[in-house]
Amino acid sequence: MESNIALLLQVLSVLLETIGLWQIFRKCGIKSWYSLIPFVREYQLGLCADKEEEGRTYTVISGTRFVLQMANIGLVKGSREALIVLLIQIVLQLAIIVYEIRIYLGLIKVFRRRKRWILGFIFLEGLTVFLWGISKKFVPSKQVVNFKLVEGAKVSGSAVKAVSDGLTINIRERSAFDFFKKRALLKDIHIVIPKGHMVLLLGGSGAGKTTFVNAVTGYEKADADIQLDGQDVYKEYEKMMYDIGFVPQQDLMRGNDTVMLTLTDAASLRMPSGVSFSKKRERVNEVLQEFGLASVKNSLVEKLSGGQRKRLSIAMEFISDPTIFFLDEPDSGLDGVVARNLFVRLRAIADQGKIVVVITHTPDRVIDLFDDVIVLAKDATRTGRLAWYGPVDEAYEFFGKTSMEQILLSINQQDEGGEGRADEFVSEYASRMRKVG
Amino acid sequence: MADKKVKHSGRLPQMIIYLGKLFRMFIFQNDWKVLPMSAIIAGLVSFAVGSNLFKTMEGTVLGTFAMACICIWNGFFNSIQVICRERAIIKREHRSGLHISSYILAHMIYQAVLCIAQVIITIAVLNLTKVKLPTKPLITPWAIVDLGLTLFFVTYCADMLALMVSAISKTTTTAMTIMPFLLIFQLVFSGGFFSIPKSAEPITNLTVAKWGLTALCAQGDYNSLPMVSVWNSLYKMRGLEYQGMKPVEEITDYILENNQRDEFMMKTAEYNRNPTYDFDPAIVMKCWGWLLLWTFVYVLIATILLEFIDRDRR
Repeated sequence: MESNIALLLQVLSVLLETIGLWQIFRKCGIKSWYSLIPFVREYQLGLCADKEEEGRTYTVISGTRFVLQMANIGLVKGSREALIVLLIQIVLQLAIIVYEIRIYLGLIKVFRRRKRWILGFIFLEGLTVFLWGISKKFVPSKQVVNFKLVEGAKVSGSAVKAVSDGLTINIRERSAFDFFKKRALLKDIHIVIPKGHMVLLLGGSGAGKTTFVNAVTGYEKADADIQLDGQDVYKEYEKMMYDIGFVPQQDLMRGNDTVMLTLTDAASLRMPSGVSFSKKRERVNEVLQEFGLASVKNSLVEKLSGGQRKRLSIAMEFISDPTIFFLDEPDSGLDGVVARNLFVRLRAIADQGKIVVVITHTPDRVIDLFDDVIVLAKDATRTGRLAWYGPVDEAYEFFGKTSMEQILLSINQQDEGGEGRADEFVSEYASRMRKVG
Repeated sequence: MADKKVKHSGRLPQMIIYLGKLFRMFIFQNDWKVLPMSAIIAGLVSFAVGSNLFKTMEGTVLGTFAMACICIWNGFFNSIQVICRERAIIKREHRSGLHISSYILAHMIYQAVLCIAQVIITIAVLNLTKVKLPTKPLITPWAIVDLGLTLFFVTYCADMLALMVSAISKTTTTAMTIMPFLLIFQLVFSGGFFSIPKSAEPITNLTVAKWGLTALCAQGDYNSLPMVSVWNSLYKMRGLEYQGMKPVEEITDYILENNQRDEFMMKTAEYNRNPTYDFDPAIVMKCWGWLLLWTFVYVLIATILLEFIDRDRR
């Protein structure tokens, strides 16, 4: 009798939860019938709660627990194997509780309710979900955007002609699979960067700056044609990677090695094997002089100042005399004067006939040193798009702004504190490109 | 622009570069500390279990288990953090043309040198603390070399296991969290010291500890040693009364009066021999073979996993 009541209550709770989720999904802009599909509904609830990552993990754990439950049916009750499976199930159940709490806390935040509601979700889950679903008082502050239904900004689709002296970039699309879903990260970027140019790569958070750099350097291949001096970077990647320098944001060097040895090892790795040791040594000394590191050549890397470390990081790439340089926020953590000096050095590198592309979040203090600016923006589908490529002064005119920070503000989404005009500029730039042909 | 057809450093020159880096790190970083640490651990173990090692069956199982544990501990600590602590640097260098196989090979050579040094230190400490070591050779003409090779293979295998964990882990915290679990697994499933159910016995083949313990017991000629536990238990039961008589006391007194205690111990040992620990070169070779096989598997997995380092998120 008691077991029948418990079963009845369980069925009732599941029923209430399903009805509640049906309504909650409708309120969040998700297809209601997802609430009927086990495991899918857990992920969708995560989306609704603005906790996609947690939703995924929750789904995977729930699925694994279900598989184990099924496996346990075939095992002899009380056997060692059954106990091991049970133990794993208990561990997974604990994880499920934690993830449920995280997701429901997210849901409470999205619905702008008090945190105490979590007790309802924990102890009376079915009833609470039902109440949140059917009551008109519970309304989410934001809806889940279905990017498939959203129309992105206009596409120029006009590839640029490859040049024999410079960098030609024709990225049609760079996409990635994310939990069984294909997502476009970058789209429709067509530019030519001549040698001797120092280019600013501007874009808000998530606009695809790093993805762009990785695609152009061949590190992460895209549906694209990238040519450096007429040679295909993707096809010739093994050889060309030495001709492309990438300086990461962090100073990724071994702190307990000396400056001299760090550069000597970099020379051994990056310079052609046919170059004699004495020539490599000569090159190391040249680079030490050029980057103002000669006086600290015997110091340990960890003893260097922030500016010196950054210069060493650039010097490690410069040692092989590459044609292009990509620098990811080289000025992070540096004060104004030191940062300015660093950019002056980068300008000098560009003046040697190299291409220097720099990502920085504080461009205005050094903007006079740049020739061009690439502006990447997230369009309505959250895909990184080209909003501008050209000279700095023309960029001001195009965006109707007087500083790079203002341009950034104009393309950033409204929920990021920006003006949310990315699609407008992307479309306008695409039209302009189509006209130019 | 540079000539695109020029060759760059191949795997061997890269390996030499990294080997140089690792030996510099040994001096400049704290890697050298693993050597005095191995001396301290060997000293502690010899103090705790050294007195009956290679003298009695029970003392040998306990002692060889402890010796295998020293080696596993040393191996784990040598390399558990070496890759994960510089993961971002490796990613950058891989982008600039680093061959992962060269990097791993450099680590293998460097760690082998460390392990050899630790084995020499461990044997020296055991000698210094007057712990009895095997005297009869099995594979090479010198028993001490046989022992050293076993200790080296155990340490090196554990070292490569830790290297693999370090290659899997994204952070040092993760690696250091996994390590105790691995250590417990090695100890519990060694199969020699803790009795485990028959169905779980195949799992023991996965452990470094099992092969280390078996090889050491075989080298110490376990089956020729006396068994003391039966005598000790019997002696403790001397006061047992049965129908007004003390039969156990009578038996033990008889054995002692006739000076037959050692004979009794050897007789009990005869009934408790374990063919797995026979003084046989084939057994030792089999253990070494398994240890080398696992070493190879761990290195292979570490190399394959590290090849995917480019997929690391920022």
